[in-house]
Amino acid sequence: MGDDRTRILDLLASGRITAEEAAHLLDALDATAAQTAGTAGGDESGETDAAETAGARTKSGGKTGWPKFFSGPGVKTTQRTGASGTPKFMYVKVLSVKGDNVNVKIPLAVMRAGLKLTALIPAQAQEQINKSMAEHGMSFDLTNFKPEDMDELIEALREMEIDVDSANGDKVHVYAE
Amino acid sequence: MRVPPWLVSMRFAENGRARFRFWFPLFLLWPLILVFLLLTLIATLVADLVTLISGRRPTYTRLILGVLGVVSQTRGTEVFVQEASDHDRIIAFTLR
Repeated sequence: MGDDRTRILDLLASGRITAEEAAHLLDALDATAAQTAGTAGGDESGETDAAETAGARTKSGGKTGWPKFFSGPGVKTTQRTGASGTPKFMYVKVLSVKGDNVNVKIPLAVMRAGLKLTALIPAQAQEQINKSMAEHGMSFDLTNFKPEDMDELIEALREMEIDVDSANGDKVHVYAE
Repeated sequence: MRVPPWLVSMRFAENGRARFRFWFPLFLLWPLILVFLLLTLIATLVADLVTLISGRRPTYTRLILGVLGVVSQTRGTEVFVQEASDHDRIIAFTLR
């Protein structure tokens, strides 16, 4: 949302839109933000429930009786990135042609904290891990992984979106928000 | 450091009817975990001291604190599984 605001102000500064038009656009942006906040709800940590419950509906269309959970397959939830635009969660959605449905929401902070732990692996064990990974075709040195790289990687995950459509119609969607 | 998960909930439904609901306030376990953590920290501090004396880099205490950090960050994890092909079974798991 911050990017949109900056873009509008840039357009105004460059004279491509008038002040009145900029005010109108900013109002529209605020209205959208308020609507998003209203529909998403929120807990004390600022993170929200994964919105709608299409996935929790049964084949007959009846509800299972529990609160709203994940959105339906293929439907993106509301914007969930932090103020800096850093994604907070990774979503994995699997939908099979038989109607089976798996939705997983994982906080990206787990990944960040987990990778920080790799720095504490004893050097000898780390050498062995690197050697074993290289043998399996992954030439990847964990010691080269710095916390600042991790932040950059998580920031880049915002752009990541993996869509897999199998021949039999099963779909897998992985993205971060 | 973030607050560790304080509530776990699990729900199970079959053929559109909620069969089983379970939620447990994990914060009730926090005092027990705290005692366990303190004992573990004493042990790791001693181990680190021995490691330091032997001229190696001490990591045990940091490792324990790191694991605690990872556990704390699991808040917000949600898993939802729907087996439409098998009695339309639904299992949902949430960590708050």
